[in-house]
Amino acid sequence: MSYLHYAWINILQTLFRVLPFPCRTGLIKIGFPGRDSPVLLTCNFRLTVERVTRAIQGIDAYLLVANSRGINVWCAATGGLLTNHDVIAVLKTSGIEDLVDHRQLILPQLAATGIEGEVVHRKTGWTVVWGPVRASAIPAFLKAGSQAAERMRSIDFPWPQRLEMAVAWAFPISLLALLLFLFWPQGVPAVVTLVWALSALIFLSFPLYHERLRTTGGRIALPLLLWLLFMAALLGVTIYVGSLSWPLAIRWSAISLIVAVVLTVDLMGSTPVYKGGFQEDRLLHIALDGELCTGVGLCEQVCPRDVLEVDYRQRVTTVAKADDCVQCGACIVQCPCDALHFRSTTGAVVPPDTVRRFKVNLLGRRLVASARAA
Amino acid sequence: MSTFVLMRILESAPQRYDMGVRLLTLGRVQRAYDRLASYIHPGQRVLDIGCGTGALALRAAQRGASVKAIDVNPQMLEIAVRRARDTGLAERIELVEMTVAELDAERSESYDVAMSGLCLSELGDDELAYTLKQLVRILRPGGLLLVADEVRPQSLVTRVLHSLVRIPLAILTFVICQQTTRPIAGLRDKLTHAGLSIVSANSSRLGSFVELVARKPDKTTP
Repeated sequence: MSYLHYAWINILQTLFRVLPFPCRTGLIKIGFPGRDSPVLLTCNFRLTVERVTRAIQGIDAYLLVANSRGINVWCAATGGLLTNHDVIAVLKTSGIEDLVDHRQLILPQLAATGIEGEVVHRKTGWTVVWGPVRASAIPAFLKAGSQAAERMRSIDFPWPQRLEMAVAWAFPISLLALLLFLFWPQGVPAVVTLVWALSALIFLSFPLYHERLRTTGGRIALPLLLWLLFMAALLGVTIYVGSLSWPLAIRWSAISLIVAVVLTVDLMGSTPVYKGGFQEDRLLHIALDGELCTGVGLCEQVCPRDVLEVDYRQRVTTVAKADDCVQCGACIVQCPCDALHFRSTTGAVVPPDTVRRFKVNLLGRRLVASARAA
Repeated sequence: MSTFVLMRILESAPQRYDMGVRLLTLGRVQRAYDRLASYIHPGQRVLDIGCGTGALALRAAQRGASVKAIDVNPQMLEIAVRRARDTGLAERIELVEMTVAELDAERSESYDVAMSGLCLSELGDDELAYTLKQLVRILRPGGLLLVADEVRPQSLVTRVLHSLVRIPLAILTFVICQQTTRPIAGLRDKLTHAGLSIVSANSSRLGSFVELVARKPDKTTP
């Protein structure tokens, strides 16, 4: 029964993955937790809560569900919808402080873009420990004494998730395609099939071309290439069958171009390994001030792309794999020495305080400029 | 007022928030704030929770109260700070970025009035219960709680009518800013349960917006 429920939630929320699904905030008991049991925190996106709960089944623990407005941890934290305040609120209003003797809070690593461990500690006395990126690694993380192995700390985009994103895009777009019923009902099945096929193709073949998305040319070429591929196939088949006609070719070239453009318009933003194409932060790079760095190592712990390397003996940090950076800003937010900041290609500096206080909104802008100018 | 859900879009651009709210509610919220502020007297100590761009806090300060106003959104607060400065009220308003969960740091019985405009509906159930408990603690006996907020209509008929208008707007808002509002259910009961007595309640026609004045009983009353 619970398995059916879990499957149902997963299917429903994958289909509507682009919309938020808020669930109840507060405290969930997993198993039979006692006064020493670990306390974990997650967002109030329904699907996440289900998956985390399932991942830690068999372990006695407390799970705090913070108000992220029904959005997943990574997007909510980076967009300013899962903040220090939300963590403080759930710590103090859920009653957890009366239930455990310790004050150690395990946060999802991907929340590090929005939640400052230092602020939470100062305001509540709870010490923040950064947990693994994926919920499935939580049992291993706890077994190792709340220590995350390196592989638990980096994010990738494996095929099950790519398939999930393909469905998440194809479903709402095929709902829109149903509007075609109004003036071209017999074309609907074909258009819907095209949407699903192209979406699957785009996400499943992602490893083959994703490096090229880094340039504007690459981002424009992708939908055009998909369009040409489809048109070549269409022309080939119709010529072979002998049913090629001008109206057919024109109609399908328009439809397939629209579908290809819509599906790829924010492809980068649908992956965890790139910044959204609309976000101006993607043009920034992280810069390290070696003078200020004391080799604390929080940046290495929270970086989901394994970009930074800390030499704990020499107490120095290096930006080892700058090309892999997704400009999430987690390292900048967490650095206690303010040794990291964003820098634009023109040399403009976005200081740590700005990255902490002002989050990226949907248009990809930090509201700093507008707030200051007004 | 079903249009409240559209406010989420405005919040994503704080610099246009005030004008937007005025348009969306046809000035209704502003008039509600004016009426609520009329309960405030010079020299009183007032707490504004979820002050946003300072609509209620500025009114209270204008009436001569000394105000502490809290909010979690630094962008809204920045606008509130500027407005307080521009109206020459900065001396009387203390604006702080903090959550309602930190109200336990405020001294007991240290405020004459607590107020909240469109903030209680933002809170989860646990948070709302906690906030009401803290507000009752920090109000002096006889102190007032002033609330203007989106609530769930009480009768089934109005609830259905209200939903009919609200759902399409909610979907539109969802699509634009991926957020929504959540009207409070049973607000009056929650206030009485927290130990306050309702002094006056003023609902909109469909019962989806309410102005409430509640009072903390004097020590002598049982």
